[in-house]
Amino acid sequence: MAFTVDFDPENPDLTNDTDTQNEIFIQVFNSGDGELFNRLYLEDSISNFSGEPLTGADRLAFFKEFLASKPSLKAAVTHAYVAGDVALIGVDYSIETTGPDGEPLLLEGNCTDVLRRLDDGRWLMAIDRPVAATGLVAE
Amino acid sequence: MSQLTDNLEKHTSLYVDAFNAGDFDTLDRFYTEEAVAVWEPGKPLTGQARREYQREFLARGPRMTAVPRQSFVTGDTALLIVDWVIETIDDAGAPERLEGVGVDVLRLGEDAVWRYAVDDPYGQG
Repeated sequence: MAFTVDFDPENPDLTNDTDTQNEIFIQVFNSGDGELFNRLYLEDSISNFSGEPLTGADRLAFFKEFLASKPSLKAAVTHAYVAGDVALIGVDYSIETTGPDGEPLLLEGNCTDVLRRLDDGRWLMAIDRPVAATGLVAE
Repeated sequence: MSQLTDNLEKHTSLYVDAFNAGDFDTLDRFYTEEAVAVWEPGKPLTGQARREYQREFLARGPRMTAVPRQSFVTGDTALLIVDWVIETIDDAGAPERLEGVGVDVLRLGEDAVWRYAVDDPYGQG
């Protein structure tokens, strides 16, 4: 697959730049590769994308299943605050996917992301928390 | 994990106690050195600007209630979602009620104390 951002799939770094973070996140999500997408998270990072807080193997299994049908993500950054080695990012997102009934499904909402800078200087996802305006991911 | 969660719940209650006592010095110890606070949406404050804003805010004798809604803890980092209400006075001295949903990032210090790294009181909606 071709990424139009500077991105090493073997050793991903979301960087300290908010727009780069968002662009990498979108492109990896839209690649449909759940295993690759999972590498944007630390092993014990918490993703609430399924509606439940998932870590480790459960999170990987969900990402692989959810991304297998190649849903299409759009996301725009609403705010970003960096405090040392941790950052809070807000994005408005919309995802075009396919529902269980095979019909097109649109998921929209706002997502809060917490990112951490690792000892090696890379930035990765620590926590995500989508709040859906429409669709499957709820409070 | 439960120990960390206990500490996190204690954090909110201790923070509210210090806030309602108007005790700025204690309150300031609930923030990391690099903390970002966003008490006015779109205007993040750090360092001395953050401290001055908070000192001034506390001088009006505000009273806060805060109810944690959700917490997500991973290692020494946490995301805390809190419903809060503050009764204070406005610039003209009239009673003013503020409320919001805080979306806060906390870090666990080596002293087992959680501190705000990002304090975003209007972080949701």
